[in-house]
Amino acid sequence: MAEAASAEEAAPLHPGLPDEIFIWEVLVRLPPKALLRCRTVCRAWRRATSARDFLLAHHALQPALPLLYVHNYVGDNIESLDIVPFDRRAGVAADDQLRPVARLGQGPFRAIASCDGLLVFSNDCRFSLCNPATRQYARLPVPPGFVPLGMYSHSPTGKYRLLLYKLSTGPAPDAQGGSYVLVLGSGQPPRCIGCPDARELVFSPSVLFRGGLHWHREQNERIVVFDTTTELFRHMCVPVVSRCTNLFEMDGMLGVSSFNYAAATIDIWMAQDYESEVWSNKHHVELPVAELTMRFGRFNRHGFGVVASSDGHLLMLLKFSDWLLQVDMDGKLVASFHCKDLAYTRFWLKQTLVSHTFFPTLEHYVVNASPFI
Amino acid sequence: MATREAGKKMIMLKSPDGMEFEVEEAVAMESQTIRKMIEDDCADTAILIPNINSKILSRVIEYCNKHVPTTGATGAAASDTVAPAALAEDLKIWDAEFIKVNRATRFNLIQAASYLNIKGLLDLTSQTTIDTISDNSLEEIRSFLSTKNDYLPEEEQTIRRENQWAFQ
Repeated sequence: MAEAASAEEAAPLHPGLPDEIFIWEVLVRLPPKALLRCRTVCRAWRRATSARDFLLAHHALQPALPLLYVHNYVGDNIESLDIVPFDRRAGVAADDQLRPVARLGQGPFRAIASCDGLLVFSNDCRFSLCNPATRQYARLPVPPGFVPLGMYSHSPTGKYRLLLYKLSTGPAPDAQGGSYVLVLGSGQPPRCIGCPDARELVFSPSVLFRGGLHWHREQNERIVVFDTTTELFRHMCVPVVSRCTNLFEMDGMLGVSSFNYAAATIDIWMAQDYESEVWSNKHHVELPVAELTMRFGRFNRHGFGVVASSDGHLLMLLKFSDWLLQVDMDGKLVASFHCKDLAYTRFWLKQTLVSHTFFPTLEHYVVNASPFI
Repeated sequence: MATREAGKKMIMLKSPDGMEFEVEEAVAMESQTIRKMIEDDCADTAILIPNINSKILSRVIEYCNKHVPTTGATGAAASDTVAPAALAEDLKIWDAEFIKVNRATRFNLIQAASYLNIKGLLDLTSQTTIDTISDNSLEEIRSFLSTKNDYLPEEEQTIRRENQWAFQ
């Protein structure tokens, strides 16, 4: 039906602007929801905003925002989950800073990986893939006994892949644990790549940096890196050994924050030279925990995170009772958000409207239907 | 201007209507297009900027002058030592004034920013159009832009249903 409009090709999409400029400089900068609405303006706008290369460019311009959840309770049961990208960029209205992109019912859900706007959820021992921007949802073909460690785009093939860990089921050689790679949309079973000691990475969040998935386990003096091109594991040194650490990327550098609960301090290290594993301590932050506890209630020691926002600033987030607090590098309170049952994840969401051919081939595939509410 | 002497290096920008603007190289290099020309040694004594008339080019230079990072004697960026928050606030106010122009000028600035590849100027100049599209209903967008709705009513309903959550 789109072809019928060829006679009107001469009319510009936007009076006063060449189509090239309007598409690639204006439409491409629209927020995802506004872009979807645009498709209803007329056929020509729909064509322009549905092309794959356009949607890839649009995704590239989306900010990577810290991912939060809000659990909605009915009585003692979690009834639904709101997916909330935390948008603290300059110019974003207060109402939009914690605006959910989607709500999922049939909880409890837990994000265990995030890749190019797609979220991997664990829900009752099943694993599913969710694009909150396009409201697509499907079951991932993860066989029983396997757990996803991460998701990535495999650059030599351009295919999305899952890194899985097969849990050991006994002492027999074929019952051993190990790492596997699953190519989404291939219909093939997971392929074993060895590395039985990746067990420690199960349910530990990873950060994708320079084509590698990075994990830092509690009280470990090394970071585990999975190279998504060669699909091999390696290690790198890290200067902090702490119970509570958080990896992040800022300005093209890998960072690690370490939280000392007893001393109420946070240290932030950046990998000055990633290849040579040279780290430098950038910030030492003393948190006024006693003062904040008086004002906001109990401090949740697990609700701490340091993340880099899309505009190149470090965001330090702390959870006190029903409050999410943002403090600066001097430990001073910058902003407080009252939000009951808000949970912090270690993931980012960079929304995407790109459609993937493998997605509709997955089991239980839906668009804007249950579990979306 | 391939001289590598101390002091501020100047560069000449020419508009197609024959006007010449002498600007500091650092200011001109706010444009990624010009930066590339200079780095590739394609920049002679003067750079002709096609399709951008002198009126628009002078506004673009004004923007770049304001947004170029201030440099100290060593040549290192000094902007992070001069209270960045205050500097950012000052720039925001300046930008808001700068963009108070009529539609035609704004569209010309978008095209100039696109050709010269100046990200900040593009973000600034395209924001008003983005807001118009984001904040208005379909009917209002169509009427602002005199765009004809060429969908059959049932087609429009289908597409609306496909993207239902975007209308909530």
